[in-house]
Amino acid sequence: MQPEKFGQLDPVIHSRIRLAVLSILISVKEASFNYLKETIGTTDGNLSASISKLEEAGYISIKKSFKGKKPLTTCRISEKGRNAFSAYLKALETYVSFKK
Amino acid sequence: MNEMEAKDEIRLIQEMIERTKKITSGSWMFFLVWGIVIILGIAGMYALVFIEKFSWIWLNWIVFVGIGVVFSIVYGRKFEKIEGAKTYPYIATAHVCFACGMAFMLVGFIFPLLKLYSWGLIAVFISLVTGILVFTLGGIYEWNLLKWCGVIWWLGAVGMVFIHENYRALVVIPLLLVGYIMPALVLRSMYRKQSD
Repeated sequence: MQPEKFGQLDPVIHSRIRLAVLSILISVKEASFNYLKETIGTTDGNLSASISKLEEAGYISIKKSFKGKKPLTTCRISEKGRNAFSAYLKALETYVSFKK
Repeated sequence: MNEMEAKDEIRLIQEMIERTKKITSGSWMFFLVWGIVIILGIAGMYALVFIEKFSWIWLNWIVFVGIGVVFSIVYGRKFEKIEGAKTYPYIATAHVCFACGMAFMLVGFIFPLLKLYSWGLIAVFISLVTGILVFTLGGIYEWNLLKWCGVIWWLGAVGMVFIHENYRALVVIPLLLVGYIMPALVLRSMYRKQSD
């Protein structure tokens, strides 16, 4: 095995839920918290923690508003997030294409 | 990480991206309502011609097109809120529909009112623009059936040239059934399968 052939996996993205969030946000202009929760199939708490971490890293932006009287949280991927996701995919490919 | 875990992550990414595509097939309602509204508009127009109320024909179209526009705005907003995400195909679709809507207004109302051409050519130009709309939506949705429907509309526009201007609008009805309502029903069954 030659460790230097493997790409560096971004620890911020290297989590099932955070990876799922970015995969969805890369395909849409924006998505609501409920949409992300239903599409990924996770809990409010897990999703909330994940999007906070992604926001702290600057990979997504969060907008909070109201839909009638209900709070509405909308997420969008940032340019930094797109680049990070693209780099993550390239790093993943090194694990898949590596031949022993 | 090992190769299996990496493949698992790639599968997760693909699955999430596929799930976002479900949204686009929910737009069958726009096709269906507009198809029905225009058929009713054509029926109304010929009814008015039959009873010789020619001056009311414009009002007939203002009413039916108005119903379609109001529905599109109200349902469009509700649709967006229900789905919870703005996909790029949806945004592109909204812009294409708006642009073609403006073209319909110009070729169907403004230019004939300005006497640029006779009312007998309206159906030809409407079919031409509808062909552009449907074909482009076929490209956005990556759906060959819609692209072929667009071609059918263009062939219909050419065919109308050989028909007396009094009857050209009637040709729009089978074009709507084949090139608008039929794909709407197919899209509806696709949406229902995805929702199950």
